Parts: sequence; C-alpha cells; structure tokens
Amino acid sequence: MKKLVGAVTIALAAYGALGAATAQAQNCSVWLVESSRFMNVPFGAFMPDRAYVPGSNSPNNSINTVDLPVNVGVIKCGKELILYDSGWKQTDYFKMTGTEHAAPLPDQLKMLGFSANDVTKIVVGHGHWDHAGQLMDFPNAVLYIQKEELKGIEWALNYPNQRISAVNTSPGGCMRTPACGYPPKTLDEIYGKVLSGKAVLVEGEMEVIPGVKIHPAFRAHTAGSQLLEVPTSIGKLVFGSDAYSSWEAIRDWMIANPQQTDTVQQFLAYEKCYKITGGYQNCVAAHEPLSYTDKYPLTKNSWIGINGSRMAEIALASGERSRKP
Amino acid sequence: MSALVSTPRRAPRIGLKQIALGVLLVGLGAVAALAMVREGRRATAPVSNSATLEGGAFAGHPQRAALTPEEENYAAALWPIHAQIKTSAVQMTFAGLSYKMGDIDRTAMKDRVAPLTKVFRDARSEASRLEVPASLQKQHEQFLGALKLYEAASVEMVKIARDGKEEHLVEAQKMSYAASEDTLRVGDALWPGEYKPN
Repeated sequence: MKKLVGAVTIALAAYGALGAATAQAQNCSVWLVESSRFMNVPFGAFMPDRAYVPGSNSPNNSINTVDLPVNVGVIKCGKELILYDSGWKQTDYFKMTGTEHAAPLPDQLKMLGFSANDVTKIVVGHGHWDHAGQLMDFPNAVLYIQKEELKGIEWALNYPNQRISAVNTSPGGCMRTPACGYPPKTLDEIYGKVLSGKAVLVEGEMEVIPGVKIHPAFRAHTAGSQLLEVPTSIGKLVFGSDAYSSWEAIRDWMIANPQQTDTVQQFLAYEKCYKITGGYQNCVAAHEPLSYTDKYPLTKNSWIGINGSRMAEIALASGERSRKP
Repeated sequence: MSALVSTPRRAPRIGLKQIALGVLLVGLGAVAALAMVREGRRATAPVSNSATLEGGAFAGHPQRAALTPEEENYAAALWPIHAQIKTSAVQMTFAGLSYKMGDIDRTAMKDRVAPLTKVFRDARSEASRLEVPASLQKQHEQFLGALKLYEAASVEMVKIARDGKEEHLVEAQKMSYAASEDTLRVGDALWPGEYKPN
C-alpha cells in the first residue's frame, strides 16, 4: 500500500480510527433493495443439496427452479449513507439472459428518499459484475474493496493454464474459472474509482465508521470476499454478498452459489454471522429466493418498487422515519 | 417401483377413441411443421439487440432468434479474438491499478502496457479480415471501433512514463471503458450467455 491509493487508504483509515476514538457506535437504519432477479434458475445449480428430484417428497429436493434476487444493502448511519454491494445496471446492450425486474439503483434510492450523490461509501462484498456494477453512478462514494480480491483476479489472469486464466472460455458460457465474472467494464469501474482517489483497498478487517466493520471472508466466494457488520435496533446484522448467497443455506449449513468458493471458508463465514449476531436470522443474503417474504423474516417488511423490483425495510434507527410507502 | 409393474396385454382394437387420437396427432404434426417453417424464417432474420431474452440463465433455454450458419461462423471466428481482447483489456486495467497501488513504477507500467498496443492492433487486423454477414455489419464495426479505442487507450497510458502526468491514465480509462461497453454490445448479439449470475 503505497503512493496515492495508499495515501487515500491511510488517510481514511486514520480518519476512521480518529472517528472511532471520538464517536460512539450508533445504530443504523437498513433497507434491502432488489437490483434485479435471475429467473428460473435450477435449484441444484444454485445449491447442490437442493437439487430437484422428480417425485421426491423431501422438502429439500422438491423444488425445480428458483428466482434469485440480487440484493443490495442500503445503510444509513447518521450522515453516512453506505451501500453494501452495488448490483448491476441492465442496459440495452447488457441485459443478462433470464433477468427480470431490473432497476437502476439511483432510481431505487430515490424511492427511499435518497439521492445517488448522498451515497458516501460503497462496500462491495466481492467484485463480480452483478455486485460491483453502477459504481460510476455514485460519484461521491468511496469504494471499499479488499486488496486480496484484486490480487486474486490478477493472479488468475496471469496464470499460464487457460483453464484457470480465462475470463470466459467458450462461446455462450462462463466456465467458472477464477477470472470469470469480472468483465472489463466492471474492472474499469473499479479502476475509475481508484483513479479518482475514491477507493480504499482494504487489507483484512477494518472499521469503516464506528460500529460498522468489514470482516474478511477470503475465498468464501471469491479470493477477497468481505462481510459487513452493522449495528441496528434489532441487533447486529451481517451482510455477506455471495459468501451468504442463500439465507436458507446459512440456516441449514449447506453451500450455495459455489463459484470460486472454498466451501470450508464459506462455512467459516456462516459461523462468523452466528458468532456476531447470535444466530442466523440477522444474516443478510445476496440471492436468497425467499427474500421479501415471511419465510425470510428479516426481509418480510417489503413492498414493490420500480419495474416490479422489491424493497424491504429491515431496521430503523431512533428518530429515523419509515420509507415504506 | 410402479414403472416396473407389467399389465396383461390386450388384443389391439381400433375404435372411435383411437381414430380421434389419430386425427389429433396429425393436427399436432401439422402445427409442429408450420412452427418449424416459421422458425426457419426467423433464423434468417438479422440478429438485433432488441431480440427477446427470456428464460433462466442457468436453464439454458434462451428464447431468441438463432444465428444463421453464416452468423454462427462469424461468431465462432470472432470468439478467440474477443477472448484475447478481454484478457488484454483487463491486463491493461491491472497495469494501471498496480501503478496506482504503488506495486510498480511508471516504467514498469509502460513495460506491461506497451506490448498490448500491438495485441490490440493485430487483433483489429485479424478481425477486419473476417467474412462478415451483412446482418452483423453493425456489430463488426462496433468491435473494430472498440479495438481502436483499446489501442488508443494503451498508447495514452504509456505517455505517463514520459511526463508522469496522471491525466493520461484518466483519459485512457475513459477510452477503455467505452470500448468495454462496445464489446458488450457485440457480445449481446453474438454470445448472449457470455456472463452468468455470479
């Protein structure tokens, strides 16, 4: 960590430390926003233990396909407005086969009464395109990404065996190689944040503001996955991006969305949530099919937003008004 | 187990039910034939960005017009160039990132980026020699344009080795970003399943 980014990092880390010394951790208000939904995904492709078995009476194997939301956390702590993940933006040229209910995040924030310019920080759980998109739409936000994530991409990219290094290996399919999932556009957006001096390359654990803590979860989905602990009136929450792809998986100790995942590390990330929150109820999952329903109680206080996308109000800090229409 | 249980055989007898079933099957066959003819016509239609994209990403049943054989050939020939370019584009981005992170100095960054100029130029030369179906001319031009942008971005980036001005990186990133959008536009037409939910 040297030069400019290093300077930014150190400066902000110092600011964070100073803040921690002078300010008390406060409860934050939290909402969940559905950036888009991937439709009709075979359950077994998402969670191998939940693969559909025709005729099976087992609740674990009786569901053929599921719809996967892409969830983004909106976290307001005093004057700080923090996003956990930034979803992705559907465009005329990047539609993503099988996607419905996509909505631009700035417009969704507007529905909550926020402007894109209000966002001060974006903590990405990892750098995949569907979790670290739209960064340029938040010009004032400082990006927090693990240095390990960037190192992991670069390592894979330069690996001599193309089965490892390929960004995509065959027409029509990304073959789950370690470099897969990071299109040039997404990386250029991350690089853009670095160039504009609005990036913190996190190394391990970090307190972003008092009480709001980044926890590394390396290889729990990608090389530099990271969790975010947030204090709220209903107890601590832990956001997990794709390390916590499925809330049911955390509850039932099953792996989910195993991309470049070390499944042991994914379980350790689950354990982290149990330890921090005292159970699994307050673990916030990125793609849980039950999101925004009573079956995932944390997210049940929900409503329909733009283009059929859903939103949920999870917790309100003292004095914070409800944003639910 | 029920599938293994056998039932006693009966002598075949043609009745009204069987005749009705036969008529139904013939009708269904006619509908299927008509559908195949229609699909055949659709397949020759130009691929457009407004093609309907439905069906699950993992499900493998995208509902969009298939490429014609000529378009398939073009897509297949362009793919290795596209794959190489994506990797090179990301390598260029990482050269900039490594410099900004202080892992390499500007001379080392130049050493990493300068060879990419030739990669982008050669790729453009190779792509321009491909036989392009008229229906994909727009995508072809977009792809060549993207390669030109990437090449220009690499040239711009290495200028920092000479004068140390970071504006070169900013300018190069803008070009690279625009190129990445154009390659996505081409990909949307030729390889709609290129990126999966991650």
